[in-house]
Amino acid sequence: MNDPFDHLAAGLDRRRFLQLVSAAGLGLLSSGGLWGAEPSAQTPGSRTPSETFDIAIVGLGAQGRILLEAIQKIPTVRVVAICDIWEYSSTYVQRLLKKSDILVNVYEDHRTMLEKEKTLTAVIVATPDFWHAPVTNDCLSAGLHVYCEKMMSNTLEGARSMVAAMRKSGKLLQIGHQRRSNPRYIVARNRIVRGDAKALGRITAINGQWNRAAGTDFGWPAKATMKPDHLAKYGFKDMHQFRNWRWFKDLGGGPLSDLGAHQIDIYNWFLDAYPTRVMASGGADYYQNHEWFDNAMVIYEYQTADGPVRAFYQVQTTTSAGGGYFEQFMGIDGSLKMSENPKITALYHEAAGKSWDDLLRSNVVVANKAAPAPADTAKVDARETAALASYQIPVVMSKAIHQPHLENFFDSIRGRTKLTCPADEALRSEIAVFKAIEAVETKNPVICKPEDFIV
Amino acid sequence: MTDHDQPTDWGSTLAFLTLRLWLGSRALLTGIEKFADTRTLTIPLLDADGNPDASGAMVEVQEKFYALSNYHAVPSSLADSLAREPLLPGFLVSPFYAILGWVLILVGLTLIIGVFNRISLAIMGGIYIALTAGLILIKQDGGVSWLAIHIGLIAAALVLSKYNRFSVTRS
Repeated sequence: MNDPFDHLAAGLDRRRFLQLVSAAGLGLLSSGGLWGAEPSAQTPGSRTPSETFDIAIVGLGAQGRILLEAIQKIPTVRVVAICDIWEYSSTYVQRLLKKSDILVNVYEDHRTMLEKEKTLTAVIVATPDFWHAPVTNDCLSAGLHVYCEKMMSNTLEGARSMVAAMRKSGKLLQIGHQRRSNPRYIVARNRIVRGDAKALGRITAINGQWNRAAGTDFGWPAKATMKPDHLAKYGFKDMHQFRNWRWFKDLGGGPLSDLGAHQIDIYNWFLDAYPTRVMASGGADYYQNHEWFDNAMVIYEYQTADGPVRAFYQVQTTTSAGGGYFEQFMGIDGSLKMSENPKITALYHEAAGKSWDDLLRSNVVVANKAAPAPADTAKVDARETAALASYQIPVVMSKAIHQPHLENFFDSIRGRTKLTCPADEALRSEIAVFKAIEAVETKNPVICKPEDFIV
Repeated sequence: MTDHDQPTDWGSTLAFLTLRLWLGSRALLTGIEKFADTRTLTIPLLDADGNPDASGAMVEVQEKFYALSNYHAVPSSLADSLAREPLLPGFLVSPFYAILGWVLILVGLTLIIGVFNRISLAIMGGIYIALTAGLILIKQDGGVSWLAIHIGLIAAALVLSKYNRFSVTRS
């Protein structure tokens, strides 16, 4: 495969020199070397997994750039190569990195990259979904650790092949359900919903959503239009499909996969269970040029150790109504409305619920100022429950939203921790998404058997 | 007749003592609180055994602390309202704000210890009258009523001050 950027390889020595110089400078400062402190283990130029190592990014669209932004805040990895089939995108990112004195080799095809880049330890995959499995499996086969965006694949078979490749290679495969590394979510799960506290009591229902306002399809500069044969070579019919791949069935998984997968994963993770039945409705009701449905309403049934749980999930791409994106767990002692956005997150204690004094004492939750009591005239029904006491989770999340998940991946490579979302775990969760999509498409309830989740 | 010859009215004596200690505490703590503020600390979340939580999570907690630099005579919202009042000129208000906290602490201490009780009560009464005037002008009737209760207690203490015992000074 021709690589229009092969000539950059000639600049390898200069690039390496600049990286070593900048890394040495950073290392000197961060290790405290100027002040005679213990030397850092991150010796520039070393490539042992316990130290600074080289990575590449495949797929430089919106998600790839968000990941790159987070990676740039992690000083212990070096981006040495980038790969995208769209020269417009790779040139943009190459120039962006150059502003930070980061010189990278640029590739169009990940296979060429794997052949030429011999210093890589890991690869970040943020391509369209249908390329996840081929790229990830090639990288794993090449002996590299992989961080792959979710959904793992647009097909269940593709996702299963990734788990198989991971197991065969013995390398790590982290899937981009980044909430699993978010300290706010970890504390919410382990110290509030689960663990000894089980502060919400028995969870009986879940409600979640991700609603977005109607928008227009992505466009592209005329001068950056790729030729039809180039697009066809990589599986795209035309530029519109390339730019809006999420809406096409051979390329992506639609909104339940694109948005819902994150949140349905949280349902499963917080409950520590997988659904037993799913009912769903959805349709391509608004956008005329999309294959995937633009809205879906899903009801999952779970049988947990504590009893049955019914979980509603909706994704709307034509309205932002309903307060953005969240996952709300409702228990007999309280409810937790969890969101990546702390402003949407809310925690309520039922008036007759068990005491949360221990949570308050240990700073797991903090009380909000009491809301004023509603006027008697505001009460419309004698059976109305009194206003609930409101709390917050004071956990600080000051990093870019994907940074902890990437850090978990890199630290796992160094052997310092374990992946928070390994591919086999992610696949079990994503099977629940595939089941919901099946329910929408067949317009019938879908039974989820325990063996469906064996991976 | 000297004090020595007066029969001891223990009810009134204890009533004055109670009022003195209550008003002294009220003034002292109110003055000290004018040097209080809260700050946000970021600390590790601890597990049930007191060790850092396995998640490595950090939590923001509010901590109350005292410092001279925190001094604020009245809440800023109240100060803003009073500043807009034409009958409260700045050349009077500013010195009042500057000494209010210190005077309350001093008066509180003298009343609790039992030094210059009448003078202390009179100064306390003067402070509350001044505050009442400000609240009347900005139509904070609730605050006026609140201060009126204090004024009543101060007046009662002054009436009962002849039953002063358990004090360092007799005045």
